[in-house]
Amino acid sequence: MNGHPQYAEALALYALGAMDNAQELTELEAHLGTCGECRRELESLRADSALLALSAVGPKPPDRARQRLLSAIAAEPRVERRQRRPIVIGRLRSRWLSFAPITVMLLLAIFSLLLGINLRNVQREVRQARERERQLHEQLAQAQHAQEILAMLTDPSAMQLAQAQHAQEILAMLTDPTAMRVKLVSTPQTRPQPLIQTIYKPENGHILLMANNCPMPPSNKVYELWLLPANGGAPMPAGTFKPDAGGNGMMMHPMETAGIAAKGFAVTIENEGGSQTPTPPIVMAPAS
Amino acid sequence: MSGSQAADQKDDAALIARMRAGEQSAMADLYDRYSGVVYGVALRVLASTTAAEDVVQEIFLQLWRNPQAFDAERGRLAPWLAVIARNRAIDHLRKRPMESDIDELPISTGVDLESDSAQKLAIEKVRGVLAQLPPDQRKALEMAYFEGMTHTEIAGKTGEPLGTIKTRIRTGLLALRKAFA
Repeated sequence: MNGHPQYAEALALYALGAMDNAQELTELEAHLGTCGECRRELESLRADSALLALSAVGPKPPDRARQRLLSAIAAEPRVERRQRRPIVIGRLRSRWLSFAPITVMLLLAIFSLLLGINLRNVQREVRQARERERQLHEQLAQAQHAQEILAMLTDPSAMQLAQAQHAQEILAMLTDPTAMRVKLVSTPQTRPQPLIQTIYKPENGHILLMANNCPMPPSNKVYELWLLPANGGAPMPAGTFKPDAGGNGMMMHPMETAGIAAKGFAVTIENEGGSQTPTPPIVMAPAS
Repeated sequence: MSGSQAADQKDDAALIARMRAGEQSAMADLYDRYSGVVYGVALRVLASTTAAEDVVQEIFLQLWRNPQAFDAERGRLAPWLAVIARNRAIDHLRKRPMESDIDELPISTGVDLESDSAQKLAIEKVRGVLAQLPPDQRKALEMAYFEGMTHTEIAGKTGEPLGTIKTRIRTGLLALRKAFA
């Protein structure tokens, strides 16, 4: 690559999933979103890494593995991909709002489409942008899926009305360009990098939190979000949550008072039920 | 692309098409052709035959459930499966939940891997390139790829500066590319 040598080594690390500096990662992914040459170089580096994998090829799996697989396939009915596409369901812990699984499924599907905080999703989106013209049929399937989601959102018989309203509230926050958005990363950095996206609407005091790659807190402990007031006042409790087994979670929290200006958010680990004052250390802080 | 490579790629596409049609014999054929690639990579990462078998089972079962995940126009099955095997094995090693889908990025390499003889030639060539790398460079590359370590972890373990580790990893990958150019 000739155009952007400053990213040459970072791209090699990225191709192997060996980069653990959140700032470098954020900068590189932002660059990849706009630079076709570096995306092509990344693809080449991934192909190089596939060659590396070949050095390990040699031993064959035992015969029982073949039989195990073929038996599993024979026992499994074939269904269309669109009906099977898995969607990760997060576990919610909020003081005031608990979603039924169907709502969570819909929200996380929307969330993954709109924000893509999961790094694999970001990579897929980069690829999808390149392949859009060739994947019209996939887009058609997605459009049909979106129509189904919309139909469910607007069909009281398919979902409880209250849940649909909650879903619409969250969708409104996700798409509100005026809402304050803060990305939090773990301190110290770990891999895979835990990420939390917060969206805050001071006008009504609502905070939406979406967590990804967050390890399960110790037994009887929860994560607690803190709003850091812009006037330098004490951190204010802004809801507790626990991620699911996959490290994902979502929480909606209303501040008791609307109109509080925030300069940021932070996350600590507290006892179940939450705390009124943060207990050090801060485990998630705004990405620099 | 040579004529035989094009034919092999066509074979891959035909296998996938048969799988999409629900032919179980296509899965058996595909397994016979590529299970060694997936198992070898998983075993190298996990150093456990049982765990490696689990990765093989998981990947082929997911491909059966979702054959559309592989796009024959964007790459070849062997390198694609090798990369998925590596990533799933690292997930297993790090006790991360394995991805529930195998819709990974396409891997485009012009290396012929479909036939047994072509695979053996390519494997020997890769091993030859790795053997010629300086030991520190090869080690950094293998720690990142087969042990799933980050460059910071490698620097911490080897006592080398971060910048040195970055350079070694990139240079090692480029050496592989050059050998197959």
